[in-house]
Amino acid sequence: MMRRFWGDIKRYAYFCVYSAKSDLKAEVANSYLNWIWWVLEPLLNMLVYYFVFGNLMGSDQEYYIIFIYSALLMWNFFNRCIIYSVKAVRMNREIVTKVYVPKFILLLSNMILNGIKLLISLGILAVLIIAFRVPFTVKMLYVIPIYLIVFIFTFGCGMVFMHFGVFIDDLAYALGILLNMLFFMSGIFYNVETTLASPLGYILARINPMAALINNMRGALIYGITPDFILMFIWLDIGLILSIVGVRIIYKYENSYVKVV
Amino acid sequence: MRETAIEIKNLVINYRNLNRMSIHQSIMNPNAARRADVVQALKGVSFEVEKGEILGIIGRNGSGKSTMLKAIAGIFQPDEGSIDTKGKQVSLMSIGVGFKPEITGRENIMTSGMLLGFSPEYAKSKMEEIIEFSELGEFIDRPVRTYSSGMYSKLTFAITAVLETEIMLVDEVLSVGDEHFRKKSFNKMKDLILDNDRTVIIVSHAMDTLRELCTRILWLHDGEIKMIGETDEVLDAYQQFMSV
Repeated sequence: MMRRFWGDIKRYAYFCVYSAKSDLKAEVANSYLNWIWWVLEPLLNMLVYYFVFGNLMGSDQEYYIIFIYSALLMWNFFNRCIIYSVKAVRMNREIVTKVYVPKFILLLSNMILNGIKLLISLGILAVLIIAFRVPFTVKMLYVIPIYLIVFIFTFGCGMVFMHFGVFIDDLAYALGILLNMLFFMSGIFYNVETTLASPLGYILARINPMAALINNMRGALIYGITPDFILMFIWLDIGLILSIVGVRIIYKYENSYVKVV
Repeated sequence: MRETAIEIKNLVINYRNLNRMSIHQSIMNPNAARRADVVQALKGVSFEVEKGEILGIIGRNGSGKSTMLKAIAGIFQPDEGSIDTKGKQVSLMSIGVGFKPEITGRENIMTSGMLLGFSPEYAKSKMEEIIEFSELGEFIDRPVRTYSSGMYSKLTFAITAVLETEIMLVDEVLSVGDEHFRKKSFNKMKDLILDNDRTVIIVSHAMDTLRELCTRILWLHDGEIKMIGETDEVLDAYQQFMSV
């Protein structure tokens, strides 16, 4: 199965990237502000959270703007990919019913699309980091492997949701609520571990994957804290297992999707 | 010795009538999937097609013709049996390759080409030819969702006709577009079909076309092969059967 997976990746790599790029182009073709939206959207969202939680409720977190913004970027990537995954097959029914394409390629292409948006936003983040004079440390580099884990974990989750999304009509609604809940439990605008009463905060910061990943990414990026390697390793493993299981499921059932969508 | 292009062994395809369900149903009724009635579209069909051959498939509506084409194109997985196309590129003509509605015609030519298994360089090199054949003009750089249905099928035809695959599956010989384009596409199609290196399977109800083009005919009836053999012989038997 792994052989087939890599073969498919190689075979469809160009398609993946090309289709991500043209989708991206189409997305902005009809709007006035074009690609500025990708930057503007998380930036404005960040300002909302900053205003509500920073000013109104008063947070004493250091570098609060960067604290929110960096977390928001990671969350947005995960959130968008997962929401897409549930309806991926149905959204591409035009293609899926007419030619064979490994279904995980559809998700991968969307992840590339969101990845490009993410990279642009990360550029803005870099500017903010410099502007607010966050001290530079070598530990900032930990952000890269953590994003890698996020990518693998998202892919794994996405695969599983993609499969069930084909057969279960209202999964998208349920998932929307679930993601909303997860959003508030992931500490985008607060620190899960220190804000929530123990032991709840301690537990949540570990068993909630996005809280764990965001927390460790943010620690390394802003406060020079070394990530919790064991915890990161565990979530990497879970991501890998989900990916393997997901790809296996997709390969097994993908050709019956056509009969349903 | 002639080379075999497509080898189909004991092909069985089932349609499960379960379709989609809600979360409620899937929790309350987890066996729904297993209990759903299964419709057998193809019941163990075996045959071979030689390279360069033009095989026609006839049969009543619902006899499994289109299902078989889709299976050969790799869109369906056989529930039993096997389909071997010897690693050749296969394209399903009538419905073409799916387009992404939001992106432009030009971009869709690239994605379609790649989905059919061609290299991006090859797709790019055939780009102008496809655009010219499709007669879309400046519309080629607009999103496909803005196309009229005629333009849509013209582009579909142009892509599958210009990007030549080794195995071509034709579901109803096409008549797309206006009178002028119809003639042009029919001639192009005929050229493609009659090419000696290309293996073609045509599904059609047009007896005259089949008689003119095919070297052999396969008659499907209720998911089974009723008859396979010389064009005239099978077509005569079929017409007699249908007139009763």
